[in-house]
Amino acid sequence: MTKTRAGSLVFLVAGFYGLILTLQLPMGKWNEPGAGAFPLIVSSLLCIFGIGMFIAGKGKVALDWRALIKEQWTPFQIIVLTGAFILAMERLGYLLSALLYIFALLFWVSRYRIWIALGLAVCIGIGSWYMFGKLFETPLPRGILPF
Amino acid sequence: MDVLNNLLTGFATALTLKNVYLAFIGCLWGTIVGVLPGIGPVAGITLLIPATFGLDATGAIIMLAGIYYGAMYGGSTTSILMNIPGESASVITCLDGYQMARKGRGGAALFIAAFGSWIGGTLSIIGLMLLAPILADFATKFGPPEMFAIFVIAFILLSSLGSNFFTTMPVVLLGLLLASVGMDPLTGVLRFTHGVKNLYDGIGFIAVAMGAFGMGEVLASTQESTEGRTVQKVRLRELLPTSKELRSSWGPIFRGSGIGFFVGILPGSAHIVSSFLSYLVEKRLAKRPEEFGTGRIEGVAGPETANNAASGGAMIPFLGLGIPTGPPAAVMMIALLIHGIRPGPLFISEQPLIFWGLIASMYIGNVILLILNLPMVSIFVNLLRVPFGILFPIILLICLIGTYTINLETFDLMVLLCAGGLGYLFRSWNIQIAPLVLAMILGPAAEVSFRQSLMRSGGSFSIFVDSPIALVLLIVSCLLLAWNIYRALKTPTL
Repeated sequence: MTKTRAGSLVFLVAGFYGLILTLQLPMGKWNEPGAGAFPLIVSSLLCIFGIGMFIAGKGKVALDWRALIKEQWTPFQIIVLTGAFILAMERLGYLLSALLYIFALLFWVSRYRIWIALGLAVCIGIGSWYMFGKLFETPLPRGILPF
Repeated sequence: MDVLNNLLTGFATALTLKNVYLAFIGCLWGTIVGVLPGIGPVAGITLLIPATFGLDATGAIIMLAGIYYGAMYGGSTTSILMNIPGESASVITCLDGYQMARKGRGGAALFIAAFGSWIGGTLSIIGLMLLAPILADFATKFGPPEMFAIFVIAFILLSSLGSNFFTTMPVVLLGLLLASVGMDPLTGVLRFTHGVKNLYDGIGFIAVAMGAFGMGEVLASTQESTEGRTVQKVRLRELLPTSKELRSSWGPIFRGSGIGFFVGILPGSAHIVSSFLSYLVEKRLAKRPEEFGTGRIEGVAGPETANNAASGGAMIPFLGLGIPTGPPAAVMMIALLIHGIRPGPLFISEQPLIFWGLIASMYIGNVILLILNLPMVSIFVNLLRVPFGILFPIILLICLIGTYTINLETFDLMVLLCAGGLGYLFRSWNIQIAPLVLAMILGPAAEVSFRQSLMRSGGSFSIFVDSPIALVLLIVSCLLLAWNIYRALKTPTL
């Protein structure tokens, strides 16, 4: 699997998925195009380009999946931690989840010592909560804390 | 006289204490964004969109435009003093700027970069002021077929944003498909929502832009390292160029202004192209071209002027036709849409205060930037001492809070996360993500104009060729398409 082919799969999946769903929408007639007309044209073109890209991607340097996973480890960690923060925010509240999120990023991703990471997390977490929640009056989720 | 009267009205709007303050904040943040490697102007504008929610549309656009041209100013600082371009348009400045700094002429290089940017910025605003109303006036004659033809051109031009047409066009189409999620604007039928109520109004632009540009850029920057680079020191008294350096800079500054302005009007990576083009022109015109790359002031003056002039040029299709030609304009368009204002042919006549206020604020902003960038250069350079390991959690937090603020829904944060992941993935595959966001913005209007045209003609496609304007526009788009395909086949970089 080459990089180009891996990229083309994103478009192919989106194109075919769009095509299948579009066929369930009202198409109308050319003098009164329905809700499905425009998405049908777009998803058909997406499939055509996806197939073309897949074919053109043949014979290039193959992806080294192991190297790729190693290379993508840091972004992957950030995505997972951000996902966890999003899920925790409504339940734990903004302040608590932000403290944990920043600490996790600084400790695991940036590899700061535990006390430095903790200190910075407290400063950034409380600072952002005060700035957005208090100064800008953004209604941030409270969660289990009373503020 | 009309232009002069309008401009005076614009100054009356822009010179209120609040708007001068907003222009200052925008310019300051833009300079910071430009100085810091890893955060470009697009991410910088995106991050401050939530801060505009409490402002009126005029204040919002004044601040965001300040970030846009402020980043162009700031980008030169790291190029000259560290050999690291703060943003992509300043790559070429590294060649001669850093060599000048090594020879102890860093201060002069910074002065010329700031001065040239000011001249280029000011001249391009004059061009914008004169050309945008003419274009907008002409565009009021456009009906649905002409607008659809304009959108076709825009989509084909968007596909030239990337390195290869065949990898960028699918991104545009994916953006158009994502734009059709939600309620159909003409019939009210729900499309691709799977019963998720949050999708009834479509996928939020802000969440996608914040994810693709803000988070995506952070994820990509974690792979880059700026450690171990030395910063060339510069003293305040070294800022003034010699009379010889000043004389050598005038030509490149004026040529760079023209190149930047006209390249800026064209969609694509205008800032980068204009700075490279200006450098090539100066090298071609030089008596000793072999000296370029060893610390020639012309190699700093031309490109730095050109990339700033391109900011003014890029505003013409954005404000006059409602078609953003690049990611920064697209993000500004999102901000205006949030405030209930859609740039387009009627924008200048319906919202003269916003348009002329913006123009006037750009003059003021360029003066603010000149003041900010010269005496305070050492302060901005010190920003580079903040480790990226501390900076990126703060940026991510701003992205997350900013997106959450729009609807107070964690669903938007999930969209941001997906867009961030996709943005990063595309970046690592050398596929541009910007066309996706731009197509998402233009998609709904393109669909409506397409369907309205067919309804008007009773289903006949001849309506697109019956109108002379639409016909010309479609011929141009066919030529552009052919050129893009030819270019992609000639230099396959899949």
